[in-house]
Amino acid sequence: MYIYQTGISLIDDIKGGISPGSNVLILAPSMSSGEKLGYAIMRPHEGEFALVLTTVMRSVDLMDFFSSEEFNRDAIGVIDSVTKLSTPDVSDTTQIKYVSSPSDLTGIGIKFSSLVESIFNGEFPPSDHALFPPPIRFYIDSLTTLLMYRKLEVLYQFLHVMTSKLKKMEAIGIYILNNESFDERTLSLMKQLMNVVIEVKSEQHGDFLRIRGVPGAPQEWVQFKIHKGTLEMVA
Amino acid sequence: MIRTGITGMDEMLGSGIPKGTRVVFSLEPGVEGRMFMMRTIASALNEKKNVCILSPHCTERVFFSESFEILEIDITNLGGKAVILDSTVRESINSCEKKGTSRKLAWKKLIEETLEQHSIDVFFVYFDLLYEDLGLQKALDLLPSGREKHRVTTVVEHLNLEGDSLISRFASENIFDLIISIHSAFTLVPFFNFFTLEYVSWARIPRRSIPYRVAGRSIRLYIPKIIITGPPASGKSTFVSHASDSGISVDRGDLDGCRTTVAMDLGWLHFRGFDITIFGTPGQPRFDPIIPQLVKNAMGIILILDATRPDMLVRAKELLHLAHAEKLPLVIAVNKSDLPHQMDDVTIREMLNLRDEIPVFFISALKRSDVHYVVESMVDRITRHPY
Repeated sequence: MYIYQTGISLIDDIKGGISPGSNVLILAPSMSSGEKLGYAIMRPHEGEFALVLTTVMRSVDLMDFFSSEEFNRDAIGVIDSVTKLSTPDVSDTTQIKYVSSPSDLTGIGIKFSSLVESIFNGEFPPSDHALFPPPIRFYIDSLTTLLMYRKLEVLYQFLHVMTSKLKKMEAIGIYILNNESFDERTLSLMKQLMNVVIEVKSEQHGDFLRIRGVPGAPQEWVQFKIHKGTLEMVA
Repeated sequence: MIRTGITGMDEMLGSGIPKGTRVVFSLEPGVEGRMFMMRTIASALNEKKNVCILSPHCTERVFFSESFEILEIDITNLGGKAVILDSTVRESINSCEKKGTSRKLAWKKLIEETLEQHSIDVFFVYFDLLYEDLGLQKALDLLPSGREKHRVTTVVEHLNLEGDSLISRFASENIFDLIISIHSAFTLVPFFNFFTLEYVSWARIPRRSIPYRVAGRSIRLYIPKIIITGPPASGKSTFVSHASDSGISVDRGDLDGCRTTVAMDLGWLHFRGFDITIFGTPGQPRFDPIIPQLVKNAMGIILILDATRPDMLVRAKELLHLAHAEKLPLVIAVNKSDLPHQMDDVTIREMLNLRDEIPVFFISALKRSDVHYVVESMVDRITRHPY
C-alpha cells in the first residue's frame, strides 16, 4: 500500500505518513500560516500528482506561487473558481480548469473528474517516476469560502461524495477551514469526514501546530516553519 | 415536441419532449452531464423557440461563455430568443427578501411576468441554488404547471446529493413527467458514464440505463464491451465480422488446416444510435486463462453455439462459468441452424441451466440480418440491466 508523506515529522516518523483515502483538515485562524501549511502537505512528491481547488487565488497567481516555492508544476492540476468572476471567457487547459464561481458544485465535481481522468490517461507532462495507480493529493483552499457560498448541509453532502471518490482512487484530501469564523456545529460536522485534524495557531515568536487523530503522535503544540514550500519542525 | 438533440434519446422518447411537460436531468456529482441540458437548450433555440434560462449560479456572460465551452456554438445566434435570469437576479431577491416565503413570492412574480412578457415556450432551470434558498417544496412550486394557459415546457438540471431517495420522491409524487438520472460507474478511475430513464409519463418505456460518452461536443450512446464467446468452430469470428462495421481478428492456421482465434476478435459498430465495441474470445481450452481478463468490465455476453454439435454444450457451459455470465446480461445465439440439426431450445436450456428470461435465437451467422437481431436483443438487455 502506498503511504503519503506529510512532511510533518510527528506523523511521518511514527506512522510513515498517512494512508490512501485519508482526509486531513487544517483548522487555522486568519493571518496564520494555515494556508501555506496546506500547500506544503499538498506538495506532490516524486511520481505523485496534486489537484487544488482554489477559491481564494487565481490559478495564474497560484502557478507563480508554485514556481517560487519550487513545486513541480507539471504534476499539479488546478480547479480555479476565482478567475471566471472577472474574466468570463477564459478557457480550460489540460492542467487548469475553470468553474463559474465557488457556488458551482456541479462544475467543481465535473472538473475534478476531468483532471483525474487526464492524470490516469497520461495527459499531464510525463514523469520518469510514474506510479500506478497515480497517487493524488487533493487540496481545497478553502472550505471557508465554500461555506460562504453554500449551506453547511449541502457542502457536507458534496464533500461526502468527494471523499468516497478519493477513497476509491486511493488519493488523499486536504482541506483548510478558518476555525474562528464558524460555530462548533459547523466544525464538528466537517470533522466527521476527516481522519486527521491539524490545528494551527500563530504567536509572536512563530507558528504552531497540534495534531489530532494520529494514534501515537504527540498531542502538544509544536512550532513549525515553512521554507520554499517545505515544512520544518522547530525542535 | 421539443427535441433534446441527443441521438437515440429523442427516438426513445417518441421524437422528443411533449409541450407543457416537466423534465429533470438529475446529475450525480462529478459526472459530465451538463451536456444534456445544454443540448436541449440549443435544440429549442434551433427550433426558433423562445426560452428563459434561470441560472442563479452565474452571470449571463459566464453562462454564455460556459455554453460555448460545452457546445462550441454561440447559442445566441441559433434563431430563438433567450432570456436569462442570472446570479444578479438571485442576489437582488435575496438581499431584498429575507424570508423564504417572501423570496418565493418574488421569484414567482418575476418568473410569471417573464414567461408571459416574452411568450416563453421552454423554461430551463438550474435548480440547486433555488432549492437551497427556498427549500425543495417552495422551489418546486416555482416551476410552471403544464396545465396553465400557455403550456410552457420546463426542463430542470439538478445536482443530486441525496441519491435515489430524491429520485423516488420525484417519481412517486408525479412532480416531473420525465426523470433522467445521470451517473458514473466509478471504479479506480471514472470508467463510464450512463443515464437512466427513470420515469416517463407519456409513454410506456421500461426503466433503462444507457451508457454514453461525450465526443465531439455531443452525447454518443456507448457500449464499451460486449463479449462473444462459445466453443471452438461455433462461428464466433464470423459473427463478429458480420456484426461489425470494421474490426480485426487474430487468427492462425491449426495443424489440421482450420483457422482458429488465438487472442481475440475485435469489432466496432454503430447500431441504433449506439457506438459498440465487441470482443470475441478464443474457444480452445488452451486459451481459458485469458478469458476472465477479456471479460473484465464487459456489459453483456453473447454465447454462440453450433446447432450441429450438441456434444459441445459441455464446453459452452465451461465458458459461461469462466466468463461469470450469471452476473451479466446474456443472449444465446445457436449458429448454423440452416444446416440439418437436432439441437432444440429445451435441450439447450436444460444443459446450460438457463433462466427463462434469457433469449435463445436460432440463426446463421452468415446472415447479417440474423446477427443484427441478436445484437439488438443484447443492447435491449444491457439497457434494462440495473447497474
